[in-house]
Amino acid sequence: MTDQSRKPLVLIIDDEEALRDGCRQVLEKCGYTVLTAELGIEGINLARQHEPALALVDLKMPNMSGMEIMEILSQDIPDIILIMITGYASIVSAVEAMQKGAHDYLPKPFNPDQLRVLVKRGLDHRTLRIEARKLKEEKDQMQKNFITFVSHEMRSPLVVIRQYIEALNEIAGKSFDKDVKEIIERCRKRVQSLEEMVEHWLDISRIENGTLAQQKVSLRLPSIIARSVEEMTPLCRKKGISLETNIPKKLPEITGDGESLVRVFTNIIGNATKYTPAGGKITLTVKSDEYYTTVNVSDTGIGIPHDQLSLIFEPFFRCKGKDEKIRGSGLGLTFCKKIMESHNGGIEASSREGEGTTFVLTFPASINTSKKNPLQAC
Amino acid sequence: MTIKKKILLIDDDKDFLFATKLILEKGGYEVFMAEDGKTGVEMWKSISPDLAIIDMMMETWGEGFSVLNKIRATDTGKDTPLFMLSAVDLQGPYNSFEPPPEFPKVNKVLHKPIKADDLLQFVAQELGGK
Repeated sequence: MTDQSRKPLVLIIDDEEALRDGCRQVLEKCGYTVLTAELGIEGINLARQHEPALALVDLKMPNMSGMEIMEILSQDIPDIILIMITGYASIVSAVEAMQKGAHDYLPKPFNPDQLRVLVKRGLDHRTLRIEARKLKEEKDQMQKNFITFVSHEMRSPLVVIRQYIEALNEIAGKSFDKDVKEIIERCRKRVQSLEEMVEHWLDISRIENGTLAQQKVSLRLPSIIARSVEEMTPLCRKKGISLETNIPKKLPEITGDGESLVRVFTNIIGNATKYTPAGGKITLTVKSDEYYTTVNVSDTGIGIPHDQLSLIFEPFFRCKGKDEKIRGSGLGLTFCKKIMESHNGGIEASSREGEGTTFVLTFPASINTSKKNPLQAC
Repeated sequence: MTIKKKILLIDDDKDFLFATKLILEKGGYEVFMAEDGKTGVEMWKSISPDLAIIDMMMETWGEGFSVLNKIRATDTGKDTPLFMLSAVDLQGPYNSFEPPPEFPKVNKVLHKPIKADDLLQFVAQELGGK
């Protein structure tokens, strides 16, 4: 607001009095407030005090060079537009000025029109830059508020519906016949998966805007895998799928957030159980070298068609022709990819239709711990 | 005939109140409902329930905690079991909240939605059966 309502403040730093006065007259007629300084240090002090929108700085001055002045002003004064005035306009000095933070340069001699155009252009640029930043800040804030809003407003009704289903079963469950019970159970499952979808979507939004709480510490991958396997074993047993791990005795530690990584593994294993028929096998194999630790999660399932392999990490992507009963949030693999990326790691998939799919998760070696304690027994 | 134990539910979601009330009534309790913190504290004083279940996040974040404080500050509220309810997922913007060491005792934190069996079991643990 103040920027628009007030007259823009322009500072001229030049040791030539005639030039200072000439510029002042031209710019004041344009409606700007003008401050002038003969010496570099005086100009810098004025700038720190008044925070001008734009400064014209002579390149060649006694004591302190224009380059030095511009370097200080660009660091100290927020959003200042710097224009270099020079009698020796050369590509070399122009490039250097730009590197020190100058917006433009004005070769001597110049006429009033040239000055007016350059100053106006500089100030327009500044206004746009400030507006763009404000909009970006607003957008970021809105995104954060939106996530908070969704997390409360969208989940509350789902929570209530599930609570009603609990109440319904509690007060009348015994008198329902088989069909009614099944309808209620199906409703419950669909609401629950909608809730999961909201959760996943929220997690992804939080990773994207950096508000997902992750505590990165040194971790032993085998214990993360053990936790994940433990969590998924009942499901695998129920589906008649065997779940095996193949982990070397010695492995370097990795840096990561334990909770997120357990969710990555349970997601990948859970995904494998959906596409692996009874009697199949899911195997987790860990390998490590100097730079990376990799985990292969292989299943003996139906596989993913080659042309769809590159799309599986996309939100809401679902392989065509797959069993209609298979349902999920459609965001599980997207979540895994985002989490792996936030660990400077990666996730890839390879597959043969009818034979199975392998997900390869890559973790960079943890630099701090690998020096101190390169091989941690597990 | 035994006198039913009294439970006070404080939550700003009417539907959640109603659903939870049905479960607790089925469990043999007498249930009172308050839709905001202020009413909740007033009802606490007039009814003297045997247990209260308080939503953590009502109109404002922290409302539930202020209710908890006020109830704990009453004569009857010192030792009565109090449950807190939360639908706040721990990854959210509120995960930074940590109760100070001198924070009044919460007997149990329940996460919404809560399974009927679990709810009745937790309540029974505190109240020693129906």
